Amino acid sequence: MRKLKVEVIGVNPPCRRCKQAEDNARKAAARLGEEGVEVEVIKLDVSSGETVSRFGLVMSPAVAVNGVVRIMGKVPDPGVVERILRKEL
Amino acid sequence: MEAGRAVKSAIMLAFIIFFVVMMARAIIGSYTLTPQSTAEDLRGLPLWEIPLVYLWDYIQHGWLCLGFAFSIAGVFSEFLPQSFMLRYMSSGRRVSYLVATVLAPVFCVCSCTMVPIFSGLLYAGAGIGPALTFLLVAPANNILADIVTIQVLGWRVAIADMVAAGIAAIAIGYFVSKTPWGREFESRFAGNRGNPGQARAVELVEQPLDERLWSALKFGGYLARQILPAFFVGLVAVSYVQAFFPEELVRAYLTGPLGVVVAALLGGPLYTPTLIEVALGKALVNLGMSPGATVAWLMGQPYDIPNSLSTSRIVGWRIVVTYGVMSFIAAVASGLIYGVLVGTF
Repeated sequence: MRKLKVEVIGVNPPCRRCKQAEDNARKAAARLGEEGVEVEVIKLDVSSGETVSRFGLVMSPAVAVNGVVRIMGKVPDPGVVERILRKEL
Repeated sequence: MEAGRAVKSAIMLAFIIFFVVMMARAIIGSYTLTPQSTAEDLRGLPLWEIPLVYLWDYIQHGWLCLGFAFSIAGVFSEFLPQSFMLRYMSSGRRVSYLVATVLAPVFCVCSCTMVPIFSGLLYAGAGIGPALTFLLVAPANNILADIVTIQVLGWRVAIADMVAAGIAAIAIGYFVSKTPWGREFESRFAGNRGNPGQARAVELVEQPLDERLWSALKFGGYLARQILPAFFVGLVAVSYVQAFFPEELVRAYLTGPLGVVVAALLGGPLYTPTLIEVALGKALVNLGMSPGATVAWLMGQPYDIPNSLSTSRIVGWRIVVTYGVMSFIAAVASGLIYGVLVGTF
């Protein structure tokens, strides 16, 4: 069984779009969870030194899968996140 | 599946093209998109009816402009490589200033991402100068504000405002980066310089056209939901200003060189989203505010109080006070220069 890690990069405190991106990522994670894939969803602060040193400057909200930013500056639908996750399997 | 995507794309494209074509027609036909009500029209009405009449007047003329502005804002944010531009901006070279100024209009970020981008630029080693230039120019000159300013206040004032705001932002950013406290602040991030633009863990996925168009329209809709409620509340206030604010006061204090200074003072601390500032500016222009004062009024954007507070938490009060004072001077100077150029104060 594979484990996937999703990082949702947003502002802190979260704005509506960042919240939405996180919710959608969790929905996608839940769908894969039903099939027995373990998906961990983490929130990162866009303006923390750690985030910037890993990804450079990103537009929030952004979604990274297994440490690679895949979506930037927009709120992906759950289906979009799900498709990205499935490619990683 | 493929056919479904094509149909969806076509419908969304048609929606966007509709606004573009209608807008082009309106411009070519010089059809006015701003409220026509004058003080005389409004003053005779019962108090509760004034905002309704004004709002209705505005919506009748303004729906097209707003629909166009929000659609285009969404399309820009989706289809222009903003992350690439941000990287360029954070390169820490002198050209970053220019990139920040010229490209800022295409950023239609919601206000809650302005400050994070600013601090992100700092972390990435862009330097306080370009970061500040971006912070000052982006809210005033984004495509949404530009379209509405052109439609409401006319292209002359709008262009003067854009150019002046750009030049002022570069000058202020550069100046602050040379002050002792600016240097001191920048040195904290000096170790980060040179990092950005290198290979990063970023490989954006490619999405089909219908998903991208949908994402663009969704963002346009998000901006509309975010901005329009405050905008309409602002218009209610504007309707009363239009109806009751004494013209003599405007004539006395918002014309001539004094008017420029007063407008710059008022335009700043007053926390108003750009669109409301534009609408309020229109009401004051109808009451007799001079063109020079209008430009100064519009340039007052960068030093409103809430924004300054959240910025000062990151960069410290000295930098904020420096750019606040300089923005004020720049607003007055631009107003005076514009007044001289058009020949009336």
